[in-house]
Amino acid sequence: MKRALLLLALLAACERPQGILLWHAYNGAEKDALEETAATWNAAHPDHPLQLVAVPYGAFADKLTSAIPGGNGPDLFIYPQDRIGDWATAGVIEPIEFWVDDARADAFVPAATSAMVHEGSLYGLPLATKSLALFYRTDLVANPPTTTDELLALTPAMRQRAGYAVAYANADLYGHAPWLHGFGGHVLAADGTVDIATPEAARAMEFARSLVVAGAAPAQAEGPLVATLFNEGKAATVISGPWFVADIADGVPWAVATLPKVSATGEWASPFLGAEAVLMSARAKDKDLAFEAMAALTSDASAIVRAKRARQVVPNLAAYNDPAVKSDKVLAAFRAQLAHTVPMPTAPAMRMVWTPYKTALVEILAGRAQPADTVQSVEREVESYLTGPR
Amino acid sequence: MRRHLRDFGLGALAAFIIVTVAFVAFRNHDLVERQTRAANAVVSDALGGRTAMPGSRAVFVSRATPSTKHSFLRRRSMAPAGGPLVWRPLAPGSDPDAKLLYDTATRLDRAAASSGSRTTPARIVELVPDGSGRAIAADHAADHIVIAITAPASPAPYPWVVMLGVFGLGAALTAAGALVDRTASPSGAATSGAPPVGVAWPARLGTFAGIGVLAIPTILWGSVVAATLIVIIAAGLAFAQHRNLTDRFIHGVREHRTALGFLGPAAISMLVLVAAPFVIGLFIGFYDHHHGSWTFVGLSNFGELLSGGGRALDDPLNFWFIVGVTVLWTVVNVTFHVVLGVLLALLLTRPWLRAKGMWRMLFIVPWAVPNYITALIWKGMFEGEYGAINSLLDLAGLDGVTWFGSWIASFSANVITNTWLGFPFMLVVAIGALESIPKEQYEAAAVDGASAWQRFRHITLPYLRPALGPAIVLGSIWTFNMFNVIHLVSGGAPGGSTNTLVTDAYRWAFDRGERYGMAAAEGTLIFLILLLWNVFGKRLVRAKGATE
Repeated sequence: MKRALLLLALLAACERPQGILLWHAYNGAEKDALEETAATWNAAHPDHPLQLVAVPYGAFADKLTSAIPGGNGPDLFIYPQDRIGDWATAGVIEPIEFWVDDARADAFVPAATSAMVHEGSLYGLPLATKSLALFYRTDLVANPPTTTDELLALTPAMRQRAGYAVAYANADLYGHAPWLHGFGGHVLAADGTVDIATPEAARAMEFARSLVVAGAAPAQAEGPLVATLFNEGKAATVISGPWFVADIADGVPWAVATLPKVSATGEWASPFLGAEAVLMSARAKDKDLAFEAMAALTSDASAIVRAKRARQVVPNLAAYNDPAVKSDKVLAAFRAQLAHTVPMPTAPAMRMVWTPYKTALVEILAGRAQPADTVQSVEREVESYLTGPR
Repeated sequence: MRRHLRDFGLGALAAFIIVTVAFVAFRNHDLVERQTRAANAVVSDALGGRTAMPGSRAVFVSRATPSTKHSFLRRRSMAPAGGPLVWRPLAPGSDPDAKLLYDTATRLDRAAASSGSRTTPARIVELVPDGSGRAIAADHAADHIVIAITAPASPAPYPWVVMLGVFGLGAALTAAGALVDRTASPSGAATSGAPPVGVAWPARLGTFAGIGVLAIPTILWGSVVAATLIVIIAAGLAFAQHRNLTDRFIHGVREHRTALGFLGPAAISMLVLVAAPFVIGLFIGFYDHHHGSWTFVGLSNFGELLSGGGRALDDPLNFWFIVGVTVLWTVVNVTFHVVLGVLLALLLTRPWLRAKGMWRMLFIVPWAVPNYITALIWKGMFEGEYGAINSLLDLAGLDGVTWFGSWIASFSANVITNTWLGFPFMLVVAIGALESIPKEQYEAAAVDGASAWQRFRHITLPYLRPALGPAIVLGSIWTFNMFNVIHLVSGGAPGGSTNTLVTDAYRWAFDRGERYGMAAAEGTLIFLILLLWNVFGKRLVRAKGATE
């Protein structure tokens, strides 16, 4: 039995290449852009080439958590930052602040790097940020609304054409988050504890409901419906992220702007900021080299390639000095939105919030529940999952 | 004698596996113990100003200087312990272990911060997770941090010599026992051919002692469990010899060699793919899982489920509410499947029907399409604004339904989808049963003046029953455990109230912070419910069959 194990280990050792193994879940233009930046590294480091392996997103996290503790898996991988808390606690990923100096950290938008921090350590370098912003039809909206009152003022004209002032995924916490933060609410308090049942959160829900009641927004809109409404001219504005660009039909005149201020509080409606990062396996073979590759993939030059080819909202400040990137209005708008975002919490508790919150929003939007009670029950449900039998 | 040694070989093989497992456990534990003790000693030496042991090293690492701009960036410097303090920056390339020292210092700071007091700082001691076998220890000195790294160590090699010696000793003891046995009963087993009846006590003692000897190394490694297991195997084997079981076993294997060869692959895959996950699932139900750490919690997962977790009975997250939904779901679906299946089967067996083959093929199509694809198609059709069903209702001048907004609509959407998926099975079973009914019976009944209902009630139904009974039991188990339709069509909406037990178990595992223990406990309860239903359902079918 032992010999068989040895044989297996040998086989595994043979299969492992000499280069730096990187797992990613990109496809399409993002994959092409990544391959181009990897090719630049490979030309400079023929002895230690980057080997890109595309892993389906659905299986990504499970594959990683089972492979890395056994000493297998990739050296580097690309993943959104929301699992950093789990993986850092479980010792799956390597802290990297040792290799990072002020100059490197200065290259990125602060919100993007601080999204990669868990318990005072840095775990990844950001590749692209994802946040919501305001898409609007230039034929229906002359100037993008800067306050929610201006947004609501679009309603009467839109009602006449059986349309809405704004369409967004309002039953989802991710879509609702701009109002939640705009009213001063949050999901987790500053110390990382769950803090859902606040008066601010209840007011944000009240506001989301009022949009539906006033006919300013469709109830329970989801991705495909939002896109259809926008393309048919039945939604003057849409709150969505960079991925929405692909859903807009040809011939629709559109632009992107920063989300408006919430008129009731005077605060910016602030969406969650997610960031895709290059992370390092705690069992990477040559960690110094792996970090070099990581730095190369997130360098300003690589960022410009990704911004041009895949239209990724790159977090590198210098990339926006490039004339081609600078002239891209979409990237500029999402770049401007970054100033008014809330980093997505990395705490494991966050992952338990989505479903109960969605349930609550559905009830609120249908007018079947009172916001003040609803936020209480969401918090109770999340707490019950957190404590459990210990 | 040959068969005694053969029996010894069998027992020794089992004992050998146990010894090996015990050795691996002992070896890892021993390595950790040895190395952490060494690392602790090096730290204490450095704190006391003594030089480190050869092969290991001790260094001082300064406290962190945080960057003014980025709170997560810190600079440190290092100096070798045991001499004049010469500080140099702890930066990439400055030392082969620089990263390890830096991270360990950071973690020591974090441990101290979380323990809350600087007066009793937490010391870190552990194995470096790079496979080198080195241990690292860190502690606070007066105004800096001292970190020790031991020399690499490899775990103790497998004791082949000891194992061979013990094995030889065991074989000798067995042989000796067998020889004594033969001298005691000369007419005994020496000649091959007809197997002798029973084995005398000296040979049994020899076998017992021979295998028992293999427990000696495990006792030396302090593994009581392994030693006990081996002694039990030895005693069991001696007892089996007494009853002549080993001979019969070997004889049986020889006789059915071909059959076993064919069964082997299937049996092994069943063991690996069905039995092992099942047993693991049962065990996980007694553990709680939080962020990668497992705690034994006994029956508390089951308690939380069965007590409803302190929720009201009409709360969709209460276990009994979910049980209710699941039972309702099963009953409603199976009823629809059977009624629709039988009605269509009656229609399709009419003699006047043309193109029977085509109709049957058409009705089986829903069964032939993978059910998750069907579920996704229906999900799209139930969409509120642009879905096919609401569009049709709109054309008919009716109001559209918000399909996933209320419990009854959402549950109906699931049932419609699953009825579409489920009736072809009942249809096929019913057609088979109907075709087997002799026509003469109907003719005779018609001559006797039986009405259409009477013919159905007294001829068709009795013939259908034996075929439909098992199909209903099977169909109810499939429906009870139907994951795809509920997960993909309603997804539990609204508010988890259309979840059944299987989709709720999924939510425990993947939606509520990886509570695998709760999911496994719920899986065990599902298994128990279905086991009861299977036994009960079978009896029901049999009882019905007996009354005919």
